[in-house]
Amino acid sequence: MSASAPLELIGIRKVFFPGTANEVVALDGVDLGVPAGQFVSIIGSNGSGKSTLLNAVAGTFPVTSGRVVLGGRDVTRQPDYVRSRSMGRVFQDPRAGTAPDMTIEENLALSLLRTKRSGLRLGVTNRRRAVMREQLSRLGMGLEERLKAGVSKLSGGQRQAMSLLMATIAEPSLLLLDEHTAALDPKVAQTIMELTGEIVAERQLTTLMVTHNMELALRYGDRLLMMHAGRVVLDLSRELKQELQVSDLIEKFHEVAGEAFAVDRLLLDT
Amino acid sequence: MQVIIQSALLQGLVYAFMVLGVFITFRVLDFPDLTVDGSLPLGAAVTAALIAGGQSPVLATAAGVLAGLCAGVVTGFLHLLLKSGDSDATNYGPKLLAGILTMTALYTVNLRIMGKSNTPLLGVQVIFDKIGALFSLSMVAWNLIIALAALAVAVKYLLDWLLHTEFGLCLQATGDNESMIRAMGTNTNITRIVGLGIANAMVALSGSLVAQQQGFADVGMGIGTIVAGLAGVIMGEVLFGVRSISWVLFSVIGGSIVYRLLIAVSLRFGIAPTDLKLLTAVLVVVALSVPTVRRKVMHS
Repeated sequence: MSASAPLELIGIRKVFFPGTANEVVALDGVDLGVPAGQFVSIIGSNGSGKSTLLNAVAGTFPVTSGRVVLGGRDVTRQPDYVRSRSMGRVFQDPRAGTAPDMTIEENLALSLLRTKRSGLRLGVTNRRRAVMREQLSRLGMGLEERLKAGVSKLSGGQRQAMSLLMATIAEPSLLLLDEHTAALDPKVAQTIMELTGEIVAERQLTTLMVTHNMELALRYGDRLLMMHAGRVVLDLSRELKQELQVSDLIEKFHEVAGEAFAVDRLLLDT
Repeated sequence: MQVIIQSALLQGLVYAFMVLGVFITFRVLDFPDLTVDGSLPLGAAVTAALIAGGQSPVLATAAGVLAGLCAGVVTGFLHLLLKSGDSDATNYGPKLLAGILTMTALYTVNLRIMGKSNTPLLGVQVIFDKIGALFSLSMVAWNLIIALAALAVAVKYLLDWLLHTEFGLCLQATGDNESMIRAMGTNTNITRIVGLGIANAMVALSGSLVAQQQGFADVGMGIGTIVAGLAGVIMGEVLFGVRSISWVLFSVIGGSIVYRLLIAVSLRFGIAPTDLKLLTAVLVVVALSVPTVRRKVMHS
């Protein structure tokens, strides 16, 4: 992996509640290099460590051991808010990505400020409004006409579309998607996923997408990782994953994990 | 009747800055800040001690405001210390404790500043006399009320502007969705500390003005400030609405005046001044339950 890879994880371990009866090894030595512009889908059952992996990248908690390297810089000790200046993130809960009591334009202004120091200039300017309108219009939800509406008045799908826009508007060097369509109804989930594909392709964003949904993982992304018990147990390139069906994936899982799998959950999610 | 209205307007306006401060912590930052019970008398004590020591009342008022700012910053740091690593924004324990600690410490600080429990400001020039001299007016009755109203409106617009700057939006988001604004690259520890500083500076401004208006600073004058502040905020929101931040800043100033009007009327009808704290607590409970009751009635 070249030194300027957007993301490099070296021997990441994360142990929750170490030394207690509740000790959990959530990540058990993960090594991962992601080259620029790659879209990585990550699947795995509950408790496999896939969301913990995103949190480790984002700096939500300090890792137990190992190193996180972003764009060639070791950020292992950097707090979350510093790392997030170059990182966009969308969570499963549509409420997590926006500030409900603020207006649409104020939320978007915050996302435009990601890479800048916020000062005592006005947050929402006409120049920024023009950018917001243009960006919102591509969502096809008419939000560009409702800049002054409170975000709490929007539907879950609209809020998640805004979260996606806010995560990508400042051209992050890394985009983290944490089951970002799992809490939406199927039709809305599809719209958001298509939008995600478009934005990622258009801006060539380096992306990690965690999902429960095997079909999504196969359809989207250039690379597929399967996690189990805190390790990456399967790493498929675009060429290899193109030939796979969901059933193949389940079989693969049995091979590498060697135990009964929560198949029902995964199938029901599709 | 006119006396009651005049007194309510006067009290409502001098305490309006405190209510705006409580609005910033309680509503904008989602931080129930009990520091205010100490920072209000702190503003009063610093101002009174300086004026009694022969300093200019303008300087004395500014010093009082600055002292309040420091008190808020101290609470911010204490909160950081107490929450240590806990990123749950809805955990109010450390927030409450941080305020209680600062408030308790300030009691001693205020006594030390004044050297006694009460500093009279009789027969000395206060800030209102300075302002009056500027316009060759005597600062009594309506003149004083108009001057205070102008100051309240000016401070309201200053706050309104601040809350809509880039920093202000980050401040609002810190109270609205902290993990989201952290994911946008903002250090919420800083925004929260600055916000607490600004809020307590406003509370201290009220304390300073109250002391100069009533003619003394007293170490006990801060007791119940948080509840009175909440009463102003909630009554303002219920009576005048919350359609936007700019609007609600006016609402809470109105709430402050209505609250003092209720107090003045109660006193007029023979309620003992010592019973006022209980009355205030009841008022807050009633105002808080209005939205709930309204919803219940509409659904039945």
